[in-house]
Amino acid sequence: MSNKDVRKQFLDNRFQLITVSKVLKVLESDNVIFHLNEGSDITEFHPFFFTLASLFDSHEASQHFFCVQIEILGKNRFVDIRTKKNNDRDKLYVFIEDMTEHYSNVHQIKQVRNESIIQFNVVQELNNQLEVQRGFKNKFLANVNHEIRTPLNSIKGFLDVLKMGEVSKEQLDIINIVKDSSDTLVTILDDLLDISKIEAGRLEIKNRRFNFRSLINVLNKTYALRVEEKRLEFKCEIGENIPTFLVGDRLRINQVLINLLENALRYTHQGSIKLIITTGSRNLRRIPITFEVLDTGIGIAPENMDRIFESFTQLEKRGLFGGAGLGLSIVKQLTTLMESDLEVKSNEGEGSSFKLAIILGVSHDQRSNIVEEFEPLVALPEGKVKGKKKRILYGEDIEVNQLLMTKLMAEHGEYSLDIAKNGEWVIEYLDRYPYDLVLLDLTMPVMDGFDAATIIRSHANNKIKKTPIIALTARTTEEEKELAKEVGINAYLTKPLDNKLLFETIDKLLKKSKKGNG
Amino acid sequence: MNVSKKIVLLGHFGVGKSSLLRRFVENTFSENYTVTIGVHIMKKEVAFDNGRISLIIWDVEGTDDFTKYRSSYFIGSECFVYIFDATRAITFSDLKYNLSHLNERFPNTPVHVVGNKVDLVDEKELLKNLEAQEIKHNYLSSAKTGKNVELLFQDIAAQLLANEQ
Repeated sequence: MSNKDVRKQFLDNRFQLITVSKVLKVLESDNVIFHLNEGSDITEFHPFFFTLASLFDSHEASQHFFCVQIEILGKNRFVDIRTKKNNDRDKLYVFIEDMTEHYSNVHQIKQVRNESIIQFNVVQELNNQLEVQRGFKNKFLANVNHEIRTPLNSIKGFLDVLKMGEVSKEQLDIINIVKDSSDTLVTILDDLLDISKIEAGRLEIKNRRFNFRSLINVLNKTYALRVEEKRLEFKCEIGENIPTFLVGDRLRINQVLINLLENALRYTHQGSIKLIITTGSRNLRRIPITFEVLDTGIGIAPENMDRIFESFTQLEKRGLFGGAGLGLSIVKQLTTLMESDLEVKSNEGEGSSFKLAIILGVSHDQRSNIVEEFEPLVALPEGKVKGKKKRILYGEDIEVNQLLMTKLMAEHGEYSLDIAKNGEWVIEYLDRYPYDLVLLDLTMPVMDGFDAATIIRSHANNKIKKTPIIALTARTTEEEKELAKEVGINAYLTKPLDNKLLFETIDKLLKKSKKGNG
Repeated sequence: MNVSKKIVLLGHFGVGKSSLLRRFVENTFSENYTVTIGVHIMKKEVAFDNGRISLIIWDVEGTDDFTKYRSSYFIGSECFVYIFDATRAITFSDLKYNLSHLNERFPNTPVHVVGNKVDLVDEKELLKNLEAQEIKHNYLSSAKTGKNVELLFQDIAAQLLANEQ
């Protein structure tokens, strides 16, 4: 076979040459790929050829149309089409190359590629929608939280002020009931925020060295009293082989145990509640600690077992036992975060047992003289801040909060208090008078606490610049706490204020400031 | 009067260009997505009281990079239809940029903007979203239900015929 024959067999049968007139009539065609009659209208063969009319008017002498799909004898073919005008511009040569094999392969690749990209886009859209919904919910929760905490602060604060005055025993009982109710509201708000943080993936487990036995001792003392009030028995057992100092998230372990114990307490009316803590491991680095909370309460029906960890779920619909139905949901989510399994066993009418094992690190140092990071601030003995009265400036726009702080400060003779109604006035006062410490509400009109703190920390006067600042706020998100830290706020106390903690913090910062200046 | 006019369908891949074309020309719809490569061309005649017009519709391969369109596909086009997928924001997030690119190259060719697959979205939400992004559209369509498909091509045909007269 000659080269010419080979060429004809392998290449020429893929090409067709057609000559077309200005009125789109076929003047000549070699009909290699498809058959065209001379003198026929080429647009009758396929609508692609309508475009040839435009090419006669175009300045370009030639054009190239890649990958045109043309149906020939019921089969879909992919062709590349090149056109060239003759010198007189009254004829068009149309070269058609059958590229079906090549483009069929390309088609398969693009099909897979595009499908996977579209799938990815769809998932992304769904994620975005979820993010928007989650963001809305979290923003709503943060706002509601702020709005409720502000009046709660006044309620709790003034109850403390009332208690300091002369009240009868009956009045004191009423005050304590109102205070307990306020505390419950604060707990519900904290739980709501925790749930939203966990769902948003913003709650981190922070593992640190802590005194495990001391944590259990406090729980033991607290619940021994609370259980006794309900005339129940309470037993807390801790395995002797459990080391004193462990490494884990003390705050969250405490939260899980409190929620489990509160749950047991809520649903148990006779018999006992037990907290049993054991470990079977002798590992020196990491040990699984098993916590078991057992009660002789009302128990859970088997059909309700799956629902008990849902938020806002209470099996008792009449609300006889109180609570918001968030406790066990938090327990479940926190144990998941701590990579622990939670096992529930229950017999309706007989009681329940909640069992979880958390793997905790064993501190290499079991001595108790290391200062722990979470150690609560220790109150200085009264009269420790000696000398002349310390001047405190309070930036707060809400009158009832201003009044409350005035009353609280009046009970502590060692301080004098000035009040500024917004951040701008805080700066104005600081420029005019010397202050030892600034208390700052973060949400204020004209200039908020964050901006005021930023200005204070960049003040030209070195003394003003170094004034200790305590934020007193109903804003409780981690982002806000972080931001407060960034702008140089020294301590962050959330409303409703714990008055004891407020004065402990003031004393601590004043002492530190004095040391720094001295 | 009987004239032929070329229309080019543009937009990202998977927005439903081929489905809109098939709904208009053949009145069919398939849930299966088949990629268009290169260009697929269909013809449909639309009749009016004052004449007939043959729409030669070029269904061009979709791309997420508008600059990659082959210029030869656009030769002789009398109208562009820019289609986006109402369920995928990514297919209209670059719409303004692409339209200005098109307008620079073909300042005298009209462009109709169509949001397709509206049967899968909450139309109120979509309109809010488009308004927020200052995206102007001419039609919201569904190749699946046929919503506004006939209207879109009828309007285009009427406009092209009017231009001719």
